[in-house]
This record gives sequence, C-alpha cells and structure tokens, in this order.
Amino acid sequence: MNDVKTPLFRLAKRDELGRGKVWAIRAGSIIVALILGCIPMLLTGNSPAEAYGVILQGSLSRPIYIKQTVKIAIPLLGCALAIAPCFKMRFWNIGAEGQITMGAVAATFFALNFAKTIPHVPLLAIMFISAAIFGGLWALIPAFFKAKWNTNETLFTLMMNYIAIGIVAYLQGGPWEGRKGSQLIPMFQDSARLPTVLGVHCGWIIVLLLVIAMYLYMNKTKQGFEIAVVGDSVNTARYAGMNVGWVIMRTMFISGAISGVVGFMIVSGANFTLYKGVANGVGFTSITVAWLSQLNSFAMIAISMMLAVLEKGANTLQTRLQVPASIADIITGILLFCMLASEFFINYRLIFRGREKKEVEA
Amino acid sequence: MKRISFVLIVLLLISGFAFASGAKETAAATSDPNTVKVGLLCIGDENDQGYTFNFIRGRDEATEMLKADGINVEWVTKYNIGEDATCTDANIEAAEEGCQIIINNSYGFEPFMLEVVDEYPDIEFISCTNCASATDGRDNTHNAFANIYEGRYIAGVVAGMKLQQMIDEGQIAPEEAIIGYVGAYSFAEVISGFTAYFLGARSVCPTVTMKVSFVGSWSDATAESDAALALADQGCVMISQHSDNTTPATAAQSRGVFHTGYNNDMTSIAPNASLISTRIDWGPYFYEAIKAYVNGEEIPQDWCAGMGEGAVVMTPLNEAIAAPGTAEKIAEVEAAIADGSLQVFDTSTFTVGGEELTHAFALDTDGDFTADSEEAVFDGAFHESLFQSAPYFTVQIDGIEWLNAAY
Repeated sequence: MNDVKTPLFRLAKRDELGRGKVWAIRAGSIIVALILGCIPMLLTGNSPAEAYGVILQGSLSRPIYIKQTVKIAIPLLGCALAIAPCFKMRFWNIGAEGQITMGAVAATFFALNFAKTIPHVPLLAIMFISAAIFGGLWALIPAFFKAKWNTNETLFTLMMNYIAIGIVAYLQGGPWEGRKGSQLIPMFQDSARLPTVLGVHCGWIIVLLLVIAMYLYMNKTKQGFEIAVVGDSVNTARYAGMNVGWVIMRTMFISGAISGVVGFMIVSGANFTLYKGVANGVGFTSITVAWLSQLNSFAMIAISMMLAVLEKGANTLQTRLQVPASIADIITGILLFCMLASEFFINYRLIFRGREKKEVEA
Repeated sequence: MKRISFVLIVLLLISGFAFASGAKETAAATSDPNTVKVGLLCIGDENDQGYTFNFIRGRDEATEMLKADGINVEWVTKYNIGEDATCTDANIEAAEEGCQIIINNSYGFEPFMLEVVDEYPDIEFISCTNCASATDGRDNTHNAFANIYEGRYIAGVVAGMKLQQMIDEGQIAPEEAIIGYVGAYSFAEVISGFTAYFLGARSVCPTVTMKVSFVGSWSDATAESDAALALADQGCVMISQHSDNTTPATAAQSRGVFHTGYNNDMTSIAPNASLISTRIDWGPYFYEAIKAYVNGEEIPQDWCAGMGEGAVVMTPLNEAIAAPGTAEKIAEVEAAIADGSLQVFDTSTFTVGGEELTHAFALDTDGDFTADSEEAVFDGAFHESLFQSAPYFTVQIDGIEWLNAAY
C-alpha cells in the first residue's frame, strides 16, 4: 500500500563512486551532448560532422586561431580563480562581472591620463595595482554588509554588477568620451598596452602564475584552511575561534582584486579601450568554469580552454556555414548543461519505484 | 564498469576524430581573378528592417551589377557584431577566412578595425560612416558615406508640406506644428541629419519647431518607440528618426500622428502615418569599390556621393496621406539640389543664438576631438561632407530644442 505514495522516481545521494565510473559518466555526458548538439545543426540544414569539424578547426587549426582562443581563455581562467575561494567559503559571489568592470575602470583611468607622462612598465604596474585595489574594494562592499548584517550576498553582488556597468556607461558618454556624441572612449596608446609573449598578451603568464598561487593559497596556507572551515560550517569556525566576518571580507577582497586584475588584462591586453560590455559575461561564464573544475585550480586551465575553443569555434561556424550565432550558443549551452548534469549524476542517483520494490523484496 | 568506461572513452575519442576530419579546411583565396571574396560585418541583422537591412540590400544590388560585368562576389556576412573588441575578432576572422575586402558597416567599428589592418596589408578594409581611415596614412583603409542630409532635407519638405496642410485645414494651430525627432546620440551625423530635416520642413512651413530626443543607442527598438511615444505625448504631430528600427513609425501610427523614416520604406508598417523615407543606397559604392579592386585600381580613400549619383534615394511617397503637390515639390527640390542652386545648409535660412552662422571648422586634425581646421562656411552656406565623407555639422540652431543632450 505504500506504493501509492512512492513517486515514480526519486533521488538519493550516492556513495563514493570509483574513478572509472566517474569518468564513464563524464565521457558519456559529452557523447550525449555531442549527439544532442546535432539537432540544431540538422535543423539548420548542416552536417553535424562538418559543424563540429569547423568548431575545432576554427579554434585550433592555425596559430592565429590558437592565439585568439587563448585570448578568450585568459579572462575565463583568471576570473574562475578569483571566485573559487568565495565558492569554497559558500559565499555566492556572482559579482565578478562588476569587479572586472571596476578594475578595468581604474586601469583605464591611468591609461587615459598618464600614458604620455609615465613610462611603459611603471604605468602597467600602476594600472595592475590600481585595478586590483578597485576590484577588491568593489567586492568588499557586499562582503562588509554580509559580515556585519548578514545580507544576502547573491543579490547584493549581482546588483553591484549593474552599478559598475552603469558607471562605465556614464564615463563612455561623459567625461571619457572621445569624439563628441560617439560614445567611444579613445583607444589606449602603446605605453598602456600589455606586451605580447608568443603572440598573445602576457596576461596568460599572469593567470598561470595565479593558478599556482591560488592552489598554494587554498591548500597550503592557514587562510585557505579558514576559508574551507567557514564554508563547511560557520559555527565550527566560530567555535574554533575564527573571526568569520573578517575571513569573509578578506576573502572577498582577494577575489575582487583578482577579478580587477582580469579587468586590467582585458582592457590593456585585448580590447585596448573601455566600454560597458568590458566583462562580456566572463564573470558569469567563469562560474561554470569554477564549478565544472570543482574549484581545482589546475582543472580550471583545461575547462577554460575548452569553453574558449567552443566560443572561438562557434564564431568560425557562423562565418563559414552562415549559421546564426544563436545556434552556436545553443550548442555551447547543451554541452555545458550535459557536463553539469554529469556532475549531478556523479553525486546522486535516480531510484525508480518498481526497482526499489524489488530491491526491498530481495 | 571499468570496461564500460573504457568503451565510452574510446567511443568519445573516435567520435572526436570523426568530427574533426568531417570538414576540410576551406581553400584559401580562389584563383579565379574575376571572383572576389568580400566580408561584410554588420551591427545588426536584416530583421531590423532598417540600417543593416539597408546594407544587405546594397550588397545584393552590387552583386547583381557586378555579375553583369562578369565579376562574381562571394560574400561573408557576419551579423550582430558589437562596437567593441568582438569587432576586432570579427575582422581577424574575416581576414583569415580569405576575404579580400572587409566592409565594416557601423561607425563604432572603426577603431577596432584599425587594430587589425596592419597585420593584413594586402586586404582592403572599409569603415562606413566614420572618418579616421581616410586620413591615417594607410593605403588599405578606407571610409565611405553619402550625403544623406540631402535626402533628409527632402523628407523634411514632405513633412513640412503635410504640417502646412494641417494648419491650412485648421486641424492644428500654426504654433502647434511641432516635429518630434528620435535621434541616436548627440553626434555630428545625427545633428547634421535632423538640422537638414528641420530646414527642409521650415522651407515650406515657416512656423514649424522641433524637439529632439536622444535614445543613447543606434539600435534599441524599445527605446526608440518609447521616445517617439513621449514626443507625441508632448504635442509633436510629426515624428522622424535617426535610429535603426521601425518602431518610431509604429509608435507614430498608434498615436495618430505622422512620420517620415530612414533606411527603409516604412509605409507598409505604418500605412496611416509614414509619409516617406530616405535611405543611403550602398549599391553604387560597393559596386565601385569592388570593381576597382578587381581591376587592380585604388579604392577611393574617402568616398562620398549624393542624390545626383544615386547614393541617396527617397522611398516611394505615400500618396494616400501626403499633402497634395508633394511629388512635384520633391522633383523640384531634387533638381535644385542636383544643380547646386539649393544649398541645404544655406546660412540665410537659420540662426544660431539669434546670429547668422559665419564660421565653423570641419575637421579635427590634432586628435582632441574638436574641429580645428578647414572653414566650412563660405559662399553663404555651410558645406557639409565636403572635406570628409562623414558629417561634421554640430551647430545647435534656433528652433530645435534638445530634450536630453546628455547622450
């Protein structure tokens, strides 16, 4: 009689899975994604094999395409590193977009006003530091309110994004505007641009150094341990004598500072100017990167490169096969969805009604 | 389980290779000298039925004209590109995909386009409606625009005749002949356009005044509609626009006022409101530029043409609602502009702060974004688009009220 109340299927937490099983689920999810991705391709009348081929070629087949792909991956990786400690702390910082933007604003201020008076390397150093401070302070605001009055950080950080973007929109049309009415901030002069190493701006070296630094910080330092404890249980942290509010604010400042540096690398290395779309969704996409890599710094390199391949490849897909850009976005979405779903199925399992009964009987 | 995972991973690898080999690298530039690959980078897509649609029409028109000359054009058209670093990437992409000429259709694309041009000295880059490429000293960068102010002047005449008819028939008082203008930004191209439009209207309706509302975007259908509705609610009985969408036309129709458009014939969308539109016909320029390239000649550094050359055209007049005699008047004004007897910015027809305009510079040469050279006012008129194709008229004349100059 219990049958009546048992739902058709329900979820249960899995026990630890073996490595082989975990990777089987992951590989399976990618295959499912690739197959599902064929549907929009077929609907637009293109051969899926050709389309996937174009995506790979468009992102990896020529040196310039690889450079372009790496250029896309740099801010994704940098920003994923920035939000990782927040997520470890279970502080849902979805304000990286705004922190990137404010870092970019600070860097742009020096690029526009001091490009002629300060030499190249010191200018870049000033831009770097000011971007870090500005991004950090921007992130500190919601952290302060969270620590002091336990405000909801998700909404707070999200709203801060729109304020940051609004500030740039104002600067674009107001004090920093180039030709009147154009809404364009002038391009940076050479002295405010990051040098290139192996054809890509040297931001890639900065983010790779950050990968190591973040790994050490999270796993080998006292502060990293504090973050993990606060994330697991605020009460435990309090009991252990940690100043939870202080940990939250310190971690958010570091997170915002790294995001700010990402903003600096975007304006100084890739865009050479500032506009309101400077963060271009990186602050959100990097959440996916951080999540898929389960906050592992080194895994983030692979995941951010994979997303960059998709993005760059989708661009070529649009050029060569004349598919609408939205079709490429759909395919990216399907892939991400399947990959996130696979993490779900690694942690949970479906139990169907009939099957459970059998299990009980047995 | 291990075996299953092994099988799955192998499957994944196989499918990866299969997909990777699915497409072959497209061949580089074709060997046929009469086939040319041209990239067209657009800020919107055809669905705007306005700005980008107008470029696509020009593209198709030029393709037909060139085909008649035995030249085949293979177009690579990319849509919905932002006026940001995505434009840099799109130019690189088009160049790498073998385009020999790359046309950037929006004003704000130019600085991002110029980041790429030195990497590809053999590719010709064209920035429509902007002005830095012509004077940057590079051979492979070009500008192009048309004397759209001529078409706007005529659209203004059509609007003015309608307003005068309404006054004569007693529908509105003379001082109620107010035009509402939806502008993108308080930017030279827009200022030049609405001033020409206003002068055209005032040439046939002396009591007309105008309110300009800037929406802060070249293309924002909702904001354009909202601005048009707000203007109508402030007493404007004629709406015109310098923005990319058709929503000002539908807004005008919904408020029972009249409208003249830009980029596209909007009479089918708002048959009871839209009188006429003016648009740039990009066909002649694309034809000329691509033909020059194929023949091994130089593409002009800064191309500019007007109604006389067919680069600016009027869309069909909505005879059902236009004032009687409008068609004849249009023909008369067109002829007067073509033979030079009518100057659109005739300084005797407008004042600035109560004074006649006697001096205005055209070009900015030192990069501070303020015009500092080439006197544009001479022989009793301000000479627009003479020193460069991109408009440079930025004077605020009497009779036009700027509602929100912040943009």
